[in-house]
Formats: sequence, C-alpha cells, structure tokens
Amino acid sequence: MANETSTSTTAGLDAAHSRAERVARTLQATLGTAKSAAESLERAATNGEERARAGEDVRRAVESLVAGVEQTSVAIGSMARMQASVAESARSLQGLSESNVAGVEQLSRSIESTRKDAALLASSVEEGAATIEQTTRSVRGVATNAEDLAAAAEELLATCSQTSNGIRELSARGEANASTIEQVAATLEQMAKGIVRLAQDARDVGERMGKVTTDVEAVGRSLGEVARDATEMSSSVEETASTTEELARSIRTAADQAKALQADAAEAASAVTEIAASVEEVAATAEKSAATIDANAASIEQLSRSAIASARAADEIRQRSGVSATAAADLEKTSRRLSTSTETAKAASERVSSTAREGGAVVTKSIAGFVKIRGAISEAATVIKEMGKRSEEIGDFVQTINLIADRTNLLSLNASIEAARAGEHGRGFAVVAEEIRALADRAATASGDIGKVIRSLQGTSRDAMSATAEGVRAAEEGSTLAAEADRALSSILGGIEGVATGVREVSAAMDEQLRLAQTVSGSTSEVTEHARRVAIAAEEQATASQSLSRGSAEMRRSAKQTSEATAEQARALRELVKIAGRLRGSAEQVSSATAEQAAAAGQLARTAQQMRTITHRTASAMNEQSSVVETVATSAKEVLTSTSRAIAGLGEQSKGAVEVARAMDVARKEAVASSRAVVEQSKALRQLEEASRQVALLSTEVRKATGEQAKAIVSLSAASEESKRIARQNARALDEQTNTLRMLAGNLVKQNLTIASVASATSEHTAGTEQLLAAIAEMRGRAREIAALIAQQAKAVAELAMEIRATTAGVAAVRASTEENGRDLRAVLSAIDEARVPLTGNGGAR
Amino acid sequence: MSTLYVVLEVADAAYILPASEVRELETFAGATPVPAAAAFVAGVVHIRGRVVPVVDLRRRFGLPAVERTLETRVVVTEVGDRLVGLVADRARELVRPAAEITPPPRVIAEQTLGFVKGIVELDKRIYLLLDLDRIIGEEQDHGERDLHLDDGGPRRRALPR
Repeated sequence: MANETSTSTTAGLDAAHSRAERVARTLQATLGTAKSAAESLERAATNGEERARAGEDVRRAVESLVAGVEQTSVAIGSMARMQASVAESARSLQGLSESNVAGVEQLSRSIESTRKDAALLASSVEEGAATIEQTTRSVRGVATNAEDLAAAAEELLATCSQTSNGIRELSARGEANASTIEQVAATLEQMAKGIVRLAQDARDVGERMGKVTTDVEAVGRSLGEVARDATEMSSSVEETASTTEELARSIRTAADQAKALQADAAEAASAVTEIAASVEEVAATAEKSAATIDANAASIEQLSRSAIASARAADEIRQRSGVSATAAADLEKTSRRLSTSTETAKAASERVSSTAREGGAVVTKSIAGFVKIRGAISEAATVIKEMGKRSEEIGDFVQTINLIADRTNLLSLNASIEAARAGEHGRGFAVVAEEIRALADRAATASGDIGKVIRSLQGTSRDAMSATAEGVRAAEEGSTLAAEADRALSSILGGIEGVATGVREVSAAMDEQLRLAQTVSGSTSEVTEHARRVAIAAEEQATASQSLSRGSAEMRRSAKQTSEATAEQARALRELVKIAGRLRGSAEQVSSATAEQAAAAGQLARTAQQMRTITHRTASAMNEQSSVVETVATSAKEVLTSTSRAIAGLGEQSKGAVEVARAMDVARKEAVASSRAVVEQSKALRQLEEASRQVALLSTEVRKATGEQAKAIVSLSAASEESKRIARQNARALDEQTNTLRMLAGNLVKQNLTIASVASATSEHTAGTEQLLAAIAEMRGRAREIAALIAQQAKAVAELAMEIRATTAGVAAVRASTEENGRDLRAVLSAIDEARVPLTGNGGAR
Repeated sequence: MSTLYVVLEVADAAYILPASEVRELETFAGATPVPAAAAFVAGVVHIRGRVVPVVDLRRRFGLPAVERTLETRVVVTEVGDRLVGLVADRARELVRPAAEITPPPRVIAEQTLGFVKGIVELDKRIYLLLDLDRIIGEEQDHGERDLHLDDGGPRRRALPR
C-alpha cells in the first residue's frame, strides 16, 4: 500500500514534473518569444518614433513649403494687382494719348483753318496792295495833272510876265520920250512904281524859290527817309535771312530728332514685340511646367525680366511724354509767337488804315486846293477880261492922241510955212512952230508905239484867256482825279477794314489755338504724371519681381532652364540684331534724306544771302538817289541865288525907273488919262499877276499835296509790303507749326503704339500672372492636402507608437509574469523534486 | 539962210516943194468930183472959202490908189493967184537942205516921168524936188524930156479954174 500509494504518488509526481518541465520549457519559449517580441516591439517603437519624427519633419517641411507658397501667392497676387493697376494706367494713358491725338487733330484742323484765314488775309493784303497800286497810279495821274496845272499856271505867269514886259516896254518907250510927253512919263512913273512892286513880287518869287529849295531839301530829306526805310528793309531782309537760316537749322534739328525718334520707336517696337513673344513663350512654359516649381522659378525669372522691360518701357513712355511735353510747350511757344505776329499784323493793318485815312485827308485837301485853284483861275479870267476892256479904252485914247498929234503937226507946218512967208519977222514963230511940230511927231510916234504895245497886249490877254481856260480844265481834271483817288482810298479803307476783320479772326483763331495748345500741354503733363506713376509702379513691380526672383532662385534647381532662357534670349538678341541692321539701313536712309534736306536748307541760306546782297544794292541805289536829290537841292539853291541876283537887278532897275520918273511932270490930259489907264491896266495886271501867283502857289501846294500823297502812298505801300511780309511770316510760322504738330502727332502715334503694346504686354502679363496664380493656388491646395495626409500619417504613426508602447508594456508585463511563472514553476519543480526524494529516496537523486 | 521946203510923201518916196509955193496944208476929207476932168484930178475941195482943184499925186504918178488915212494931206500950192491942191500920202515935215539942189540923174528923170526937176540929200535921205508946173499941167506932156520950167499956159486947160 504505501508503496503503491507512493508508487502512484511517485508516478503522479513524475507526471507532474514532466508536465512542469514541459510548462517550464513552454514558459522559456514564451519568455524568449516575449523577449524577442519586446525587442521587436522596442524596435517597432523606435521605428515608429523615428517615423513620427520623420513625419514631423516632413510636416514642418510641408508647412514651411505651404508658407513659402503662400508667400509666393501673396507676392504674385500683389504683382497681379500691380499689373492690373499698370494695365489700368496704361489704358488711361492710352485714352489720354488718344485724346491727345484727337486734341492734336483738332489743333491741326484749327491750324488748317488758321492757315486758310492767313491765306485769305494774304490775298486780302494782296488786294489791298493792288488797290494801293491803283491809287498810286491815280495819284500819279493827279500829280501829272498837277504838273500840267503848274505848267499852265507857269505859262499864265509867263504870259503875265510877257504882258508885264510889254507894259515895261511901254514904260521904257515913254521914258525915252519923257522929255516931250510927260503923261507917258507919268505912266512910266506909275510903271516904275509897278516895277518896284514887281521887284517886291520878284522878291516874293525869290522867297517862293527859297521855299521851293526848302521843298527840294525836304524831298531830299524824304528820300533820305526812303533810304533809311530801304536800310530798314535791308535789316528786315537780314532778319528774314537769319530766320531762314534758323529755319534751316531747325529743319536740321527736326531731322535729327526724327531720326532719333524713328530709331527709338523702331527699337522700342521690336523690343516690345520680342519681349511680348518671349513673355508669351514664358507664359506657355509656365503653363506647361506649372507642376514643377523649377518651371515656376524660370517663369518668375522671365516675369522679372519682363517686369524690368516693362519698367524700361514705362520709363521710355515717361521720356516720350517728356518729349511730348516739350513739343507741346514748343507748340505753345510757337502759338504765342504766332499770336504776337498776328498782333503785329493787327497793328500794321491799323497803321495802314490810319495812313489811308491820312491819305484821304490829303486827297480832300487837294480837292479843296483844286476848287480854290478853279476859283482863282476864274478870278484871273475876269481880271484878264477887264484888262482887255481897258486895253481897248487905251486904244481909243491912243487914237485920240494920234488925231491930236496929227492936227498939231498940220497946224505947226502951216505956221512954219506962214512964218517962212513972213520972213525975218516970222523967224521966232517958225522956231516955235518947228518945236511944236517935232513934239507932235514924237507924240504921234509914241502913241503909235503904244498902239502896237496895246495890240500885242490884247494878243497876250487872249493867250492868257485860253491858258486860263486850260487851267480851269486841268483843275477840273485834277479835282475829278482827286475824287477818284478819294473813292479808291475809300475802297482801300474798306479793304483794310476787311484785312482788320481777317486779322481779328486770325487773332481769335490764334487764341483758340493757344488755348488748345495749353490743353494739349496740360493733358501731356497729365500723361507725363501718369507715365511717372506707371514707371514707379513698374519699378515697384520690378523690385517685387526681383525679390520674387531672388526667392525663387533657391527653388531654381536646374541650369537647363537658365540655358534655355539664355538660348531664347540669344535668339531674341539675334532677332534684335537683325532688326537693328534693318533699322540702321532706314536710319541711313533717313540721314541721307536729312542730309538732302540740310543741303536744301543750305541753298535756302545762300538764297537768303543773295537777297541780302540785293537789298544792300538797293540801299546803296537809294543813297545814290538821295545824293542826286541833294545835287538837285544845290541846283535849286543856285537858282535861288540867280533869282536873288535878278531881284537885285530889278531893284536897281526899279530905282533907276523911279529916278527917271521923278524927273517928269504931268502935262497933258489925254496922256494923263492914258497913264491912268495904264495904271489901271497895271493894277489889273498886278491883280492878274497876283491871281497867277496864287494859281502858281496853289499849284505848288497841289504839287506838294500830291507829293505828300505820293509819300503817303509810298509809306502805305511799304506798310502793305510789311503786311505781306508778316502774312508770309505767318504762313511760314504756320507751316513750322504744322510740321511740329505733324511731328507731335507722329510721336503721339508712336507713343500710342508703344502704350498699346505695353498694355497688351501688361494684359498678357496679367493673364500669365493669373495662370501662375491659379497654378500656385493649385499647388498650395495640393501641398495642403499633402500636409494633411502627412499630418494624418504622423498621427497614425504616433498612435501606432503609443500602441506599440502599450504592447511593449504588455509584453514587459507578460515577460514579467512569465518570469514570475518561471520562478513559480521553478519553485514547483524544486518542490516536486523535494517531494519525490522522500518518497523514493532516490527520487530525490534525480 | 537956205530955202524952206515942204516934204510930201507918196508911196514911201519923199518929194519936196519950196515953202514959197505952198499956201498951206490941209487934211483931206475927200473931193467933189468934177465931170470931164483929167483922170489925175481928184475933184475940187473948199479951202477957206475958195474952190480949189485937187490933183491926186498917186494917180498922176501912175501908182495904185490907197485908202485915205488920217495922214493923207492936201498940199495947197500957190502959183501966181491960182491955188491947186496936191493929194499926198503924208506931209508932216519941213526941211531946209544945206546942200545944193542938183538936177536928177537921167535914169531918175526918165523914171519919174519928168515930174522931178531936182534932187538933194539931207540926213542920208533923198528928197526929190517936184516940177509943180508939169504936175498941174497936161497929162499928155508927161513924156517930154524938157525939164525946164515953162509958163505952162496952154496946159492949164486941163484944170478947171
């Protein structure tokens, strides 16, 4: 029993033991498994942590990327805004430029109308000049008539002088017979007094001659003035020549400007075109390689370059605007100059008007002079008629004297015969009778002479009558011509009024033009302001682009893009070079054309030189003329001297006559009557002479008036010449202005083109930028998604790590419990062993 | 003292007659014609109550007639108790030639039809002395060469008494 029991116990123990060992082995294996699991878990945890760390890194990187993209996006957005503002500015610029062009066109139209007005003015001035020439002809006719009148008056005066000579002859004869016929002597005395008066009159004539001399000197002075005018004209021609030379220079400068401008424009256009194409390609590239940041970077770099180009273009626009502003300022200046010119024309036309009015006054004066002359001549005719009547009376007296002389002769002859018959007693009587006979014979001779003189006197009075009629006719003709001149002057005044109206219109048009030019100037300065703003924006854009570029430089990975861009650039450069070659060709053409123009300008300058020479020659001719007139003045002075001598001789003569006459006495009634008649005749003659002198004086006055008129006409025609010259200057200034405007219009068109290209480039830029923005937005979205995924991943990894850690902890707990189990097992085993040993005794030995 | 002569001018020639043969000078206002008188007889005139026959010297000398003027004169000659008037163009002077009166050259005597019987110069002027008897005588006698004075008795028939 016990053995059995022990044997059963021992078998139980053995089984338990083996089972425990099996368990221990299992435990060992489990422990090893747990250990390896722990190790693997550790590894996994480490791995997970590592992964988590890596994920964190990735997330941070992605976040920084997102931030960078965000920044880029913001930068691009600001750039897009700037571009939009640039585009807006460009559009407003374009609008302004177009309004500028429209303003310039309007200005051009206004200048065209001004030109028409100026042409109208020129034609009106021409018409005025023609009328003035007509007036000059008419005045010349008047002058010729006045000359005729003066000649007629002089003829009259000569006739009077002849009559006077006849009277003087009569007087001389009377003086010869003074010893016998005292009445004739008395007549002579009267005549002597008459001669004294004649001497007085001759002195007056001398004074008149002095006046004539003064007049001639005045003519000389006026010729000197004319010479001075010619000199002035010369200086004005000089001015014209210098203006022409200035014009030539201005043409040259304009040609240079045109050349430079053309070159600039062509260059700018091609460059802009090239840049546009490049930007297009860049846009394409950007679109194509939107996915890659490298492409973005390249694109940004292109963008930066184009922004710089844009800035340059804006700068250029600003420069152009500056040029435009200068041109507008020039235009304004020219307009102002033109306005001044018009003012001068206005003043000149007013001067012409006043001169014409003066001419009218002179003509009126000469008409009055003609009327006076007519009156004087009529008076002279009356006097001459009276004189004829007196002559007939004298003839009757002479007849009576003859009869009486005849009877006296007869009586004395009979007395002599009677005395001869009386012989010695009649001798004394015979002597007396002889003397009486001699006296009677002399009386008869003298009266016969007087009769002859009276007949010739009647003939001269008839001549004087006919001369008077001629004088009246000449005066009437002069009056008619003067009236015609008055009418012509009135029409001139009308024409001048027209001219003044035209000038006023031109002045108004000029003011309008000036206003328009000021508007253009204002809008141009506005354009300049806008261009400046655009330039600033472009500059900012360029700066932003550059910073962007700098930011994207890091992103640039590949030099390939750079080389591509470089190749592209090279291509563009080659194109540019080709265009530059073409441009050089056209520049050469332009320069050759400019050279031709310069040559033409040189020719113009030479022509001006010739003109100057001709003018100098004219001036010298005027001076010669002036010297000739001085010679005439000298001759007039000589005439005056001889007249003075004649006056002195007349004075002596009159003195002698007075002395002779003083020796005589009044004797016979008939002779007295005759003398009285002669005195009356002489009085009449004096009246006639006085009238003739008045006529001559008036003729001289008329001549003077016509001379003044001619002078006035000359000055009038000079003024009209000046008007013509000013009109021509106006036309030239207008031409210059038109040229300037054309240049300005060309500039504006070019500017417009540049602006349009800039606007299109800017819009393209904007489109590219928008695409870029979209791509960047997409990129940002994707990056955000990536970031989110990475964040999820990171979270999962972190959770996994935590789980692993938990597992590790479990594993560690398992291991610990396993180890405890092992320890318990080992305790069990040892207990079994202890238990087995008492039972078997040797059980324990195992 | 030399002799006083009356100067008669006919057709610019100066003729003279001695003052002793001249009674007086008168203006000529026309003569009353006498029928059947000689052709050179202008007619008769009244002078101081006497009817005087008048010889027209121009007609007598065969010269063309001229119009009477203020200066036309009748020189009334006195031959014995007869008065005969001679009509001259002018008679305004008396002369007293200092030189001798000489017979005229033959040519002049012939040309003046025998009416001139002497010639004298005074102050460069030639005076022809008229043969009064021949002048107032018959016209038929004018061809005679005899220039000496005769009594003229039978020739006076030509003149009315």
